[in-house]
Amino acid sequence: MRTKTLGAVALLLTVALGGGASAQDLQMWERSGGNAPMVDALVAAWNEKNPDRKIVLTYIPHTEMVPKLAQAIASGEVPDLMGLDLIYGPQFTSAGQLEDITDYFKDDPTIATASPGHIKVATWEDRLYGVPLYADVSALFWNKDLFVKAGLDPEKPPTNLTELHDYAAKITGIEEGVYGYYLAGNCAGCNIFTFGPLIWASGGTIEPKDASDMALQGDAVPKVLEWARMMHKEGLINPANQAENGETFHLQFGSGKVGMMGTGNFNITLARDQNPGMNFGITLLPGLETGQVASFAGGDIVTVPKGSKRVEDAVDFMKFILSDEVQVEVYAKLLNMTTRGDMVDNKYYAEEPLIQDVAKAIQIGVTPYTLKFFELINSPQGPWLQMLQRVYYSDEPISEIIDSTRADMAAIVEE
Amino acid sequence: MSNIYRTKQSRRAGVLLIAPAVVFVGLFTLVPFLVMIWVSFHNWSLITPPKWVGLKNFEKAFSDRQFWISLTFTLKYTALLTPILMIGGYLIALLVAQNTPLRRVMRTVVFTPVVIGLGASSLLWYWLFATDAGLINKVLLDLGLISERVIWLGTDATRSNLAVIASITWKVIGFGMILFVAAIQSIDGEIIEASKIDGASFWQRVWHIILPLTLKTVLLVTLVSVIGSLLAFDQFYIMTAGQPRNQTATSVFYVYLNSFPYLKLGYGAALSLILAGIVLVFTVAQMMLSRRAQG
Repeated sequence: MRTKTLGAVALLLTVALGGGASAQDLQMWERSGGNAPMVDALVAAWNEKNPDRKIVLTYIPHTEMVPKLAQAIASGEVPDLMGLDLIYGPQFTSAGQLEDITDYFKDDPTIATASPGHIKVATWEDRLYGVPLYADVSALFWNKDLFVKAGLDPEKPPTNLTELHDYAAKITGIEEGVYGYYLAGNCAGCNIFTFGPLIWASGGTIEPKDASDMALQGDAVPKVLEWARMMHKEGLINPANQAENGETFHLQFGSGKVGMMGTGNFNITLARDQNPGMNFGITLLPGLETGQVASFAGGDIVTVPKGSKRVEDAVDFMKFILSDEVQVEVYAKLLNMTTRGDMVDNKYYAEEPLIQDVAKAIQIGVTPYTLKFFELINSPQGPWLQMLQRVYYSDEPISEIIDSTRADMAAIVEE
Repeated sequence: MSNIYRTKQSRRAGVLLIAPAVVFVGLFTLVPFLVMIWVSFHNWSLITPPKWVGLKNFEKAFSDRQFWISLTFTLKYTALLTPILMIGGYLIALLVAQNTPLRRVMRTVVFTPVVIGLGASSLLWYWLFATDAGLINKVLLDLGLISERVIWLGTDATRSNLAVIASITWKVIGFGMILFVAAIQSIDGEIIEASKIDGASFWQRVWHIILPLTLKTVLLVTLVSVIGSLLAFDQFYIMTAGQPRNQTATSVFYVYLNSFPYLKLGYGAALSLILAGIVLVFTVAQMMLSRRAQG
């Protein structure tokens, strides 16, 4: 009896220890979200080829990622690899909390074609601190079935904001609950991803670069904001969107109730899963004039926090995910964006026209560079969302809204 | 001699008995509180070294428009919610105070949400209030009480506040009820019998006998409710995220934003201290009222 009990205890210990991390493992943190299947696949591919130095991946809720990392850095208990929303790159590189990996990549040709937006935010004073982990880009998705029902040419998406408005007016109301366009009313991140490009494409700016710079510059800014107000006032956007805080943003286009919507590459497979019969197309988000286009280039960079004892192994993982094989057989195969521009011509993309359309966006993608992105843009309390809500849902003069937003942004940057 | 020995021994025993509590409070309340005071005099982002700024964080708080918006909203929320919880909880307690099987079941039903986590219940109500898929709009439409779907959360501060208050009432009204039931049951039955013989109606008994004899509990529950409301966070973080336009951002929500996502630990600590001061004022006022009630 005693032998059996001891045996059972030994078995439990073996299982527990066998299933856990070993001393040779690298610890990696990454934020949770729709990126998980992609990052899981990258880590699985690495672990298969590196059984002696596997990566143990831990997901942190995306809203808690920055405070969690800051706490880890302050306590000295850092992981060996750290996925980081690329917009927070400057905040961590400027604080000197990431390992300088410049010398490891000086002879590596893959870095030259890596996503420029990712590399920009991973660079501080000409030194490199990270490489792209994955890329998300925004684009305009349009529902071809609704275009046909509205009497529009399903192969001709809008090329400027006036056309977008006119098409939305024709689509709205053709069936119960169908609206021409979609904007999230309570989600700062959704709006910088999908509404920001409308301003950039039209020639405007959003956040100030530094304390000497002014926010919201360009004649296009008030025009685009007036356009957004008109879209709401004319009922071309579902009033229920006012409550959208990002929880169901990714499910909207696949519902089949939205004629056109700015969203990301992640929505291709998602919309197909949700609504297999729906025909849709993807084009670049337009500006005020035909020919003006833009996109938000987002995603994550992978970095090595200061204090990691496995810098060389971590750098090997970075080189691994930038390699030709992983770019094609992991990123492209899963229909995710390749993080190197020279890898978009591959067999998997060739069979999928939609991903090719999205791939165009990464070439023109804009990634804001600021040390205060969360306060300025991403925070639900921040001036960016406050400005948009006043534009979308109030009658305050646009010029006053712009002036007060500039003042709020300046106060944050000057701190 | 033996008396002195006994005194020394009992003193030692007393010190040993209270030592765990003193150590616990010291380690987990006093030390963090002192650290928070130290942090409030610094600018500190965790990823850069702390920098001494003196009283600047406090000066900034008093000129911070959003801080006052948040504080005003929190006080408004507290002023609306507290009477609902007190009066509602007391009325339910009066209904279910007697020990009959059905009343016991009712007590259990009303108390059950208290044991659910606040985060989970807020998420539950977030979906119940969802504009398109929410059960509340569906029921109200089916009953003909509304003609079109209502956007409960994130668009109108008053409506959002009422939705959150509904969720919190469901969640915590049972807590007050159970304490009120205990207080009502502890009243001597002979007093109630005597009042009945004297011809007192139910409401006369409640007003002149039950309420005065349970006043201490009422004040205690009020204090707990007010402190809980002043420190409200989860329900607004999940259900409204402070929207529309920061009008439903509570004080603790603003402290959280500054301390963590903005990484302004010093400013967050200063705001926390100001809030702690306000809670202290309420606590002292209610304790004085409580003593007067006892006296």
